[in-house]
Amino acid sequence: MLYNEPSPLETRVLTRRFGLPNSASLDTYLATEGYQGFLKAAGMKPEEIIEEVKISNLRGRGGAGFPAGMKWSFVPRTSPKPKYIVVNADESEPGTCKDRVLIENDPHQLIEGVLIAGLAVGAHAGYIYVRGEYRYLIEIMDQAIAEAYANGWLGKNIRGTGFDFDLYTHTGAGAYECGEESALLESLEGKRGIPRIRPPFPAVVGAFQCPTVLNNVETFCAAPAILRDGGAAFAALGVPRAGGTKMICLTGHVNKPGVYELRMGFPVKQMIEEVGGGIRNGRKLKAFIPGGSSCPVLTAEECEGLTMDYDAMAARKTMLGSGGVIVMDEDTCMVKAAMRIMRFYAHESCGWCIPCREGTTWLRKILVRFHESGGTRGDIDLVGDIARNMLGRTFCPLGDAAAMPTISIVEKFRSEFEEHLSGRPCPYESASHMVTV
Amino acid sequence: MIRLTIDGKTTEVERGTTLLHAARFLDIKIPTLCYHPLIKPFAACRLCVVEVKRSWGMELVPSCHVACQEGMEVSTGSSHVLAARRLVLELMLARWPNVPILRKYAAELGLEKPRFASPLRDEREDACILCGLCVRACDEVVGASAISFAERGIGRRVATPFNLESESCIACGACALVCPTSYIKFEAEDHRGKPPEFLLDPNTAIYMPTAQAVPKVPSIDRDSCIHFQTGGCQKCVEVCEPGAVNHKMVDEEIEVEVGQVLVAIGYDTFDPTPMAQYAYGRLDNVYTGLEVERMLNSTGPTGGRVLLKNGKPPRAVGIVHCVGSRDENYHRYCSRVCCMYALKFAHVVKERSGAEIYNFYIDMRAFGKGYEEFYSRVLNEGANVIRGKVAEVVQAGWSKQKEGALLLRCEDTLIGRFREIPVDMVILCNAIEPRRDAEQVGRLFGLSRSPDGFFLERHPKLDPVATMTDGIFVAGCAQGPKDIPDVVAQACAAAARMMATISKGEVEIDPVRAEVMEEYCSGCRVCSALCPYSAISYVAERKVSQVNSALCKGCGTCVAACPSGAMTGYGFTDRQINAELEGVLAV
Ligand SMILES: Cc1cc2nc3c(=O)[nH]c(=O)nc-3n(C[C@H](O)[C@H](O)[C@H](O)COP(=O)(O)OP(=O)(O)OC[C@H]3O[C@@H](n4cnc5c(N)ncnc54)[C@H](O)[C@@H]3O)c2cc1C
Ligand SMILES: Cc1cc2nc3c(=O)[nH]c(=O)nc-3n(C[C@H](O)[C@H](O)[C@H](O)COP(=O)(O)O)c2cc1C
Ligand code: SF4
Ligand code: SF4
Ligand code: FES
Repeated sequence: MLYNEPSPLETRVLTRRFGLPNSASLDTYLATEGYQGFLKAAGMKPEEIIEEVKISNLRGRGGAGFPAGMKWSFVPRTSPKPKYIVVNADESEPGTCKDRVLIENDPHQLIEGVLIAGLAVGAHAGYIYVRGEYRYLIEIMDQAIAEAYANGWLGKNIRGTGFDFDLYTHTGAGAYECGEESALLESLEGKRGIPRIRPPFPAVVGAFQCPTVLNNVETFCAAPAILRDGGAAFAALGVPRAGGTKMICLTGHVNKPGVYELRMGFPVKQMIEEVGGGIRNGRKLKAFIPGGSSCPVLTAEECEGLTMDYDAMAARKTMLGSGGVIVMDEDTCMVKAAMRIMRFYAHESCGWCIPCREGTTWLRKILVRFHESGGTRGDIDLVGDIARNMLGRTFCPLGDAAAMPTISIVEKFRSEFEEHLSGRPCPYESASHMVTV
Repeated sequence: MIRLTIDGKTTEVERGTTLLHAARFLDIKIPTLCYHPLIKPFAACRLCVVEVKRSWGMELVPSCHVACQEGMEVSTGSSHVLAARRLVLELMLARWPNVPILRKYAAELGLEKPRFASPLRDEREDACILCGLCVRACDEVVGASAISFAERGIGRRVATPFNLESESCIACGACALVCPTSYIKFEAEDHRGKPPEFLLDPNTAIYMPTAQAVPKVPSIDRDSCIHFQTGGCQKCVEVCEPGAVNHKMVDEEIEVEVGQVLVAIGYDTFDPTPMAQYAYGRLDNVYTGLEVERMLNSTGPTGGRVLLKNGKPPRAVGIVHCVGSRDENYHRYCSRVCCMYALKFAHVVKERSGAEIYNFYIDMRAFGKGYEEFYSRVLNEGANVIRGKVAEVVQAGWSKQKEGALLLRCEDTLIGRFREIPVDMVILCNAIEPRRDAEQVGRLFGLSRSPDGFFLERHPKLDPVATMTDGIFVAGCAQGPKDIPDVVAQACAAAARMMATISKGEVEIDPVRAEVMEEYCSGCRVCSALCPYSAISYVAERKVSQVNSALCKGCGTCVAACPSGAMTGYGFTDRQINAELEGVLAV
């Protein structure tokens, strides 16, 4: 199912089958060049597959943007242990809802991507870890897997290539932290979803103590196109250090929110105005979150001339993240936005390390109180100070994810905090259109 | 080896060394909360952070977990490091303001009061600070996994599964040992509520049996060693550099052929718990004689000092003689040694603690050489001896000042008055009894026991160390209560008897014995069950019984019992007797 009208400005690579009748079925998939990338890869050497992915400049779509080809090359090929492919479909980052449509509309594309990764690293089994709340996706995915088995696209000696591969789905139980790769692996193994100490990294010691390739759904979904049409073609869609397209989840105060596939490096202004149909009620832009609630927030001025790609975002000290764009108009209360974001992280902190566990709870308390006009001038600095001292000090990046937006909001919208000191009710309209946390 | 620089000091360490260890080699202090040398790093508290120079800038890393790398430049006291540590402690103090270890670290960082109070403020000094050491010790070291963290985020707490008593808990106390705040308390007490230091069992799972043990090596107590319960732990193996710890060692059964045996299995002491009036196990500071011996021992738990459970010396001590001895309800006999060791206690306790001493006796049995003189000496030292059986030991009162004080009630038969004497320690001179397995041992060696349960000697005056079974001798308290000089004398006598037989090289036996006529024996084994000296065995190959002529005493029980007439007295078959009669009558 599609949840929004497609935009003519999209570059449809991963979403090319969206909207076709029975787009999730194997028949539709095979009729539209399905599994061609896999068949091509089956005739290549593993190093050649990885080289192709490197050429494509595909970077991880889960948030960190780590080059996928490089990650695959870290798997020790000579290791006698079995190797695993794990798909991160835990999609829980506020503002992000792209993996869900990818699975819903084209599950075979994901299966093919996993198979290609399996060929590249010599893995013969894979797991799709699906967010607990996405229960209905498991059915879709399981059905596609059953169809693939029935038609020889999974199982022993796939389509006569001599390659064996088994694929399973696994459901989470509703924890954001289980999207973090090592916590995901713990959860997959049936343990508490808490992060692991690193090193070692999953590529070397991952699922069940074996080398593991763990990527986001969108990352795997890009692999079929890369193998089918060549890495160079994929790279050409994007910018120099990041190839292809990016699934953008355009949310917040825009007229046409939705999931759009835009080429890497798409201008932010054009995205808001043309793809998203402009800001509601003709209001002005106040703040912009480019990639899910964990990214530092940008002001309207900072969005001038900005493009949607990793390096451009890094230059503005924020991140492309998962592509979960949150647009906030001039009536948004930034204190409330900070509070909402912190509520989420305090709720989702796993409780392992002190700065995150205690820090997020304390920040939540202070921000709630502040928004209710119970704050003091000193609290503003206190919030910033705590968040800054959490950043880079926590066990896993969840603590950073909580700290980054907070620091940026306090620094860039300090005046709004000061306005809350007057003791009167919040001077802004509610930020309720913003992602509900 | 890896070279790195910490705070400007260059050092070399082995590959794999953590930054924390490297800093400790250089005497650089780094605070830690969730680190323990015997548990894998956890990196959760983030107190141990240090700053490391990377190609992309300075990075804060937890030193307890990050390994040293060639050429690393580390700073342990930069402003970033201190700020991060301060925040950790501030967050913790905001929640647990009174936990000593947090206050100590906070003071070291110049942090006085947190800028906020946590919504979950817990004022206790022994609050759980969620360091996770207990959980990891239970999982990694013990292997029991009886506790873990429940709930997530700020709700995190240490719990057993479903908050119920955990069946996997083996009560090893490892969690309490590692807990930095004493939130988990583990008070090892035996079933009578005694603190472990006064038990005669080892205090730890690996221990030196005694200070003078030969060979002087520690041994492992299987009952308390975690490894024998869960298969985990083995931390002793990790820390023992020469690799001398061996958990696989098993008891060996050795068979030794001997011709004579001296049974000297000693005694047990009477458990005074059933004598409820003496409050043993019910009130603190009521001890048995053997427990006090342990306390007085200079290698014992208190180093030989006389101490109350609260660690203070006693002001008055009551010593009760004849506990369970000379008592119709328990043992009628006199345990012989108690009066004298009670006087010894009076002397030693007074000397070491200056306490007032009260001995309660029925009669004073100073039976041996020099003993009466010792009694006079103790009297001269100022011990109070009261003739009268103690009726009961009770708590002196419920007020705060009287806490722990005990009251001894008795009748002083010399002045004909009922008396109540306040003390703070009571020593019960409990009876000596036969060892609990004396019956089994007796059966093993064919020994009889007197009505009191001690082994019976062949003749109390004429043969006091031999028994009715040849080659089996008794000595010591196994034969009856006695003190060490008597034990030694008896044991020497028994040894001499045994040596005499050995030096002779042969044994003389009576010609009177039984014998089996195999052709008549049906192998029914009626005889072997009856023989009081275990002299008859069954030869399975020939299906007949056989008499060991060295063991047979010629009592004739078997001869009378044999249903087929196969058992006869040697040289006394019916035919022989008839022939003899005929011979006599033929004259
Ligand atoms: C509180 C107290 C204080 C005392 N103070 C004094 C004192 O001051 N002076 C004094 O002279 N006497 C004193 N005595 C008495 C003294 O303890 C005994 O006289 C002495 O210990 C008896 O020695 P024993 O060898 O007969 O027995 P034990 O000392 O009991 O030795 C018996 C040994 O045999 C071993 N054993 C038991 N069964 C077996 C078996 N089946 N196989 C192999 N080995 C076995 C036991 O482990 C033990 O080592 C005191 C006694 C008590 C209770
Ligand atoms: C707290 C936290 C939550 C995360 N949640 C997700 C998630 O829901 N989905 C996802 O793909 N990656 C998530 N990530 C990123 C993963 O750890 C990991 O980097 C990613 O799945 C790797 O895939 P990629 O290289 O394809 O991006 C999360 C990371 C953190 C720290
Ligand atoms: S930063 Fe620490 S407490 Fe927070 S989720 Fe990660 S490990 Fe858990
Ligand atoms: S009980 Fe003690 S050891 Fe366990 S987490 Fe709490 S403070 Fe740490
Ligand atoms: S001691 Fe290193 S993180 Fe706790």
